Amino acid sequence: MDEILQLIAIIAVVAGTAFSTLGVLGFIRLPDVYTRLHATGKVGVFGVVLLLAATVAWTPLGWSKGLVLIIFLLLAGPVTSHALSSAAYRIGIPFATAVRDDLAESSEGGSPEEVAA
Amino acid sequence: MLATILNATLYTALAIHVVLIGVALWRIWRGENIVDRLISADLVTVLTLAVLAVIALITRNSIYIDVALGLAALGFIGTIALAKYMADEQMF
Repeated sequence: MDEILQLIAIIAVVAGTAFSTLGVLGFIRLPDVYTRLHATGKVGVFGVVLLLAATVAWTPLGWSKGLVLIIFLLLAGPVTSHALSSAAYRIGIPFATAVRDDLAESSEGGSPEEVAA
Repeated sequence: MLATILNATLYTALAIHVVLIGVALWRIWRGENIVDRLISADLVTVLTLAVLAVIALITRNSIYIDVALGLAALGFIGTIALAKYMADEQMF
């Protein structure tokens, strides 16, 4: 039984580290703030959750706390990204290569062009 | 045999995550605008969570997951409050 749990832990740690590195690489390389939020969202949701899946599988007596933390991260990740992107939009940070801006037409928030102008 | 592989992957994962935290910290220092720095601050919190999870695996002690739970809650609240403060210039 231990062998299987160890195998699960190895695969989960390798996958989690791969997602974390890809997320941070995307965070560095992507052009503007909004696309960077896409990258960091991956790190927070996939990277850490897979590592915690490994801890659920392998650390003794840790599976319940690990599951609670996984559920919390899956809930909190998207909320953080949404808050940051709406704050950036309201401040008026311009898009790097945006094709269309639906929020501007609905004129709910001050779009970057108006704020910048 | 499998245990040595697990140990090796855990230590490499720890090293990789520490390097990633360094990159995120450098990004805080060199961020081009305020939201970029706030994203990297949030990223540092998340990567510290990952380091705590790996340490919990290495020492096989589940107390680190409690620490990670507290850090996740506080990091989340802090980032949301800062984002609101940044957008509206007033906290409450």
